[in-house]
Amino acid sequence: MIELKNVVKTYDQKTIVVDRLNLKIEKGQIIVLIGESGCGKTTSMKMINRLIPMSDGEILFDGKSIMDYSPVELRRKIGYVIQKVGLLPHITIGENIELVPKLLNWDKKKRRLRALELLELVDLDKSYYHRYAHELSGGQQQRIGVARALATNPDVILMDEPFSALDPMTREQLQRELLKLQDELGKTIVFVTHDMDEALKIGDKIAVMKDGKILQFDTPERILKHPVNDYVENFVGKDRLWKLPEMMYAKDIMNRKVEVIGARRRGLQAFEIMKSRGIRRAIVVEKEGKQQQVPLGWIHINQLRGQKAEEKILRDLVKVEIQAVHETENLPNVLALMKETEANRLVVVDDEEKMVGVVTQSSVLDVLADLVSEYEEEGDED
Amino acid sequence: MELIRFMVAHAEDIFGALIQHMKITGIAVAFAILIGVPIGIWISKKQNIAGFVLGVANIMQTIPSLALFGLIIPIMGIGFKPSVFVLLLYALMPIIKNTYIGITTVDAAVIEAGRGMGMTRMQILKMIEVPLSLPMIMGGIRISTVINIGTATIAALIGAGGLGDFIFRGISMADNMMILTGAIPTALLALVMDALLNFVEVKLTPKGLKGEE
Ligand SMILES: Nc1ncnc2c1ncn2[C@@H]1O[C@H](COP(=O)(O)OP(=O)(O)OP(=O)(O)O)[C@@H](O)[C@H]1O
Ligand SMILES: [Mg+2]
Repeated sequence: MIELKNVVKTYDQKTIVVDRLNLKIEKGQIIVLIGESGCGKTTSMKMINRLIPMSDGEILFDGKSIMDYSPVELRRKIGYVIQKVGLLPHITIGENIELVPKLLNWDKKKRRLRALELLELVDLDKSYYHRYAHELSGGQQQRIGVARALATNPDVILMDEPFSALDPMTREQLQRELLKLQDELGKTIVFVTHDMDEALKIGDKIAVMKDGKILQFDTPERILKHPVNDYVENFVGKDRLWKLPEMMYAKDIMNRKVEVIGARRRGLQAFEIMKSRGIRRAIVVEKEGKQQQVPLGWIHINQLRGQKAEEKILRDLVKVEIQAVHETENLPNVLALMKETEANRLVVVDDEEKMVGVVTQSSVLDVLADLVSEYEEEGDED
Repeated sequence: MELIRFMVAHAEDIFGALIQHMKITGIAVAFAILIGVPIGIWISKKQNIAGFVLGVANIMQTIPSLALFGLIIPIMGIGFKPSVFVLLLYALMPIIKNTYIGITTVDAAVIEAGRGMGMTRMQILKMIEVPLSLPMIMGGIRISTVINIGTATIAALIGAGGLGDFIFRGISMADNMMILTGAIPTALLALVMDALLNFVEVKLTPKGLKGEE
């Protein structure tokens, strides 16, 4: 949809503000640009709709260089939302939303219908149509800002810290609504913020910027779990996973090594094996020695005692049914399932229902303990 | 009481002078608007020359009006035209300055939003900058008008007529009543115009801006 190729912005031929930036923005995604103040986020974004002319490089919009469009034509294809909203104070909210449609000579009825439709989309009552900007709260004004950007149904929307000036509750609400809107409309959104929580919440992909360069362009999950360097790691904040348990999955908290034992073994044999391995519990599987297979159930060493048990094969002895959980289930869901089923341990399976690991209460505790200690370490540094 | 009797006796003359007075100032201000507003808009877009233009206009303002009327005689002679011309020069400054301030103080976010939406420069000027600076521009026009009503009395010196005639005649005849006959209607005219234009200014303030502050 949009591709930045070696884009450079310099002022006075020497101050490099954006340094050979490469960025590929896929259709229908929310891309977040994040970084410290002055790192060039706004500049990078404004070069896309030519509000700032680039010094070098190329930006493709829909496969065509942005220089092949006139600035006005380009901007009308790209919605634009800024922190200060910038509603025209002397005309009504309705007229604000209808501004570009009016410039494009839509007829009055069509414009009005569109404005009312957009008001509904951003969750504002029709009565706001006749109001003025100064009568609206900051959050409401920004809803109008979004509605206005959507007026002519552009495929791409640029948003420069649209929610930064809002109180935390309103901000969260608008973030949620943006995501909802995105689900409905499937726009391509470039979103600038300096708030990592916001970036993680709404970004399909995040570009972490520093000194006019992109350090890492990745999914939120990968940014969290595999920061490319210390800067990104610190920027993301080590406590982040702790704050976002939704981003931790069963495969991150499981023990990969699982004691397995073949289903055809007799009880006595199994008892000896387990004793020699020093384990009290094992998972019964079809083929011994290989973990990646469908688990049959748990066996506890106590089940193997006594004449009867010693004679039988494990397949017939397995009683405790296993509770399985998919490897991509997140931490809150894993915990909920443990609580619900009163299971002390869950088997983690992949798409083919094959076992990849086990989550036990202690493995969960281990992960949390790690996070807490990292969190505290970080706190000590301040 | 005597003054009132005097003024009633000369009512017709006073009325005629008043009309003439309004004509000189009105025409001068009208031209000042036609010239000053575009200059104000123009320099607001060219910051590098704004200082120069405003400076020149400022200096013009400081030249004593008596001197300027005197200076114009060798160039344009006496009568209606040179008077209007001098008054126009005086009226320019507040109009240029207010237009300039009005346009340059329009909220940058609104203009950025406009540009971002794909409005052309002309559309931004017409639909955003001018409407939003209109109250400020009107303020400049009001100041110009009020100043000009006073200054126009001096135009009588170079034969423009108007209420100044009474004042100068009164001075030369040492007739206070005559002076007041010119001065009082001038002051009243200034007050009335001030109120009137103030009213227009308020009327022109876009509805969405009135609630602010
Ligand atoms: N017109 C200009 N002339 C010179 N330098 C500029 C100009 N505009 C911006 N800069 C510089 O470019 C750098 C990047 O600015 P930019 O606005 O893109 O930062 P940002 O990442 O959006 O920061 P913030 O989070 O504070 O909005 C800054 O160091 C800024 O000082
Ligand atoms: Mg910025």
